[in-house]
Amino acid sequence: MKNLMLATTALALVGTAGMAETSRDAVLKTYSDIAHAKYEDSLTTAQTLAAAVDALLAAPSAEALQTAKEAWLAARVPYQQTEVFRFGNAIVDDWEGKVNAWPLDEGLIDYVDASYGGPTDENEAAVLNVVANASFTLGGVEVDASAITPALLEETLQEADGVEANVATGYHAIEFLLWGQDLNGTEAGAGNRPWTDYAMGDDCTNGNCDRRGEYLKAATDLLITDLEFIVAQWADDGAARAELTADADVGVSAILTGMGSLSYGETAGERMRLGVMLNDPEEEHSCFADNTHNDHFYNGVGIQSVYLGSYTRTDGSIVEGPSLSDLVAETDASLDMEMQQKLSAAVLALGRIKTAAESGFTYDMMLARGNAAGEALIMGGVNGLVDQTRSIERVVAALGTEIEIEGSDSLDNPEAVFE
Amino acid sequence: MRLAAAFIFLATPLAAQDVDGAVNEHILPGYSALAEETTLLADAACAAEDLKPAFSSAFDAWVRVSHLRFGPSEADDRAFALAFWPDPRGSTPKTLAALISDADPVVEDAAAFGTVSVAGRGFYALEFLLFDPQFAEQSSSPYLCTLTQAITRDIAANAAAIEAGWQNHAALMTAPGNDAYRTEEEAIRQLFTALATGLEFTSQARLGRPMGTFERPRPNRAEARRSDRSLRHVVLSLEATRALAGHIATRDDALDALFEKAISQAEALDDPVFANVATPQGRIRVEALQSSVEEIRRYLGGTVAPRLGIEAGFNALDGD
Repeated sequence: MKNLMLATTALALVGTAGMAETSRDAVLKTYSDIAHAKYEDSLTTAQTLAAAVDALLAAPSAEALQTAKEAWLAARVPYQQTEVFRFGNAIVDDWEGKVNAWPLDEGLIDYVDASYGGPTDENEAAVLNVVANASFTLGGVEVDASAITPALLEETLQEADGVEANVATGYHAIEFLLWGQDLNGTEAGAGNRPWTDYAMGDDCTNGNCDRRGEYLKAATDLLITDLEFIVAQWADDGAARAELTADADVGVSAILTGMGSLSYGETAGERMRLGVMLNDPEEEHSCFADNTHNDHFYNGVGIQSVYLGSYTRTDGSIVEGPSLSDLVAETDASLDMEMQQKLSAAVLALGRIKTAAESGFTYDMMLARGNAAGEALIMGGVNGLVDQTRSIERVVAALGTEIEIEGSDSLDNPEAVFE
Repeated sequence: MRLAAAFIFLATPLAAQDVDGAVNEHILPGYSALAEETTLLADAACAAEDLKPAFSSAFDAWVRVSHLRFGPSEADDRAFALAFWPDPRGSTPKTLAALISDADPVVEDAAAFGTVSVAGRGFYALEFLLFDPQFAEQSSSPYLCTLTQAITRDIAANAAAIEAGWQNHAALMTAPGNDAYRTEEEAIRQLFTALATGLEFTSQARLGRPMGTFERPRPNRAEARRSDRSLRHVVLSLEATRALAGHIATRDDALDALFEKAISQAEALDDPVFANVATPQGRIRVEALQSSVEEIRRYLGGTVAPRLGIEAGFNALDGD
């Protein structure tokens, strides 16, 4: 539904006094500084990943693949904390599909197990396998894929044929190329791609190791350029910062839109509850790497950090300043306490999932049909996020900002309907 | 000139909100009808000719409350278990096929069946069993009969649980000052969010999914197309949201006229499963209907919400 969602135009805002006006600007500055720092950390950790990928391709080995996987996992820590900037900031929302689109029909990219099935009603390209095919027809068009480049991924393959599950770029495409399919169902274990999938000559397994390496390299390079773009948007003179701070009341409403939409519709709903209800490990956010517990946990931490106006960087330094929490406390101290308490409770509940997963009860095991303990753990996180959304709505009401009913192409841009 | 206009606006009796009416005349009767119809469905014999009429009436009753996604419908994932759609990954046919090929004994026990994926339960799963050739052709098999009855009984149990839950929830909503609704404003906001979200779902999922894009229409994505119910759901849902709107903004003739317009357009469509979205002519008419639904949403956001002094809360469609 991404294409239909836009949440930019805010409605009229109720009056605010001069004192509060000043502090809203300061809150927006803290928020923008935190956004910049989080994306910068996402970029530097992705650069470490890119270096590890280069090393893997230069001298393939089990150790080199493991190093690249560890770099990917580390890169997810700051990135997941940025997701709270998505909804509410149009520049971020329009961009994020390039780096974090999910879920994907991974058969588009590389070989998959026979149990995966073939093309579907929804997606004719579900098993296209670009790594194995230097040319193919896609949506009725002949494609020359003899060279796998960032441009091929971005312009031809990403969302090919208008299907969102055709994810050719970003963290999850790279995740698939590093881990491979997780064929363990709701049993323990992540994807187990052999390092020899990147070996040269006769050592190469599953064919086309050179093209697979080319794909991995192209996807990683693209991730770097995409992250460079978004870091620039939040710099002192960046467009996302300018858009957010143009009107302080609209800006505050954008912060709350991001917090509420990520809490409720996205993380609690689409990513967590749906997986439990379907008992389907393919609904895991990081289903190849089995890193889903961290995805959710760092979403929660990111939401909390935006409210408290404090972010702990990957080098341990702290970016902080006047916060939304301060602003709410001036208006309604007990509501601020409630909000802080709900955010802490959600992070704690998401932390329980992480704790269990890291001690061997992995996220896909929690999803198994009839696994009551797993369901209770995940639903604890869902309920924490849903509960905090109620308080976010109360904050919206208390600050006198208005969250617009999110528009759609046909609402905000009538011409688009006829395109 | 401007002052005069503002004065006239203020002097006109303002449309008011009526939480009691929404609960007692819309929500409670709606869920009570669902409980009744689904009991009849669960009591129907296995034969398709007995089941299909009961399926149709019960599904109608569901669509009439399908916008009321809060409180008891969300507890224990009841609404999801009643109605899992859209299903972009084809989870419903996959789940059903797996149950059948394993002859999974989970269908023999109601409590155990409640642990099955929501994709294998509810109205959309039942529709597959009754109308999709892949399943309908084996309808004489004893396992299929047991599975069908497990689904219909699960549907009835969930509908009964929602109805029971509403006995308590109605009190919370109509007498705010509790943790669910601290103020009347929170109750109104909840109703308003349900109304706005229901219309958004009709516009973007029920109409938008089959429309796809101009170059790539997707008629196979139409809701409940196997039972020819796609357009019917749009009409039923518009009628139901119109009724709710009448309680949120009483005596708002402009709002009611917008609903009237959209419903007439839908009724005039003569395209029960939106198959015509594949032709330019047919597509334009569905687009016009979608624009009318969007017009209602725009009016709600731009006129009704500010008048009530509220804003819609977050909803399940907020993600991507």
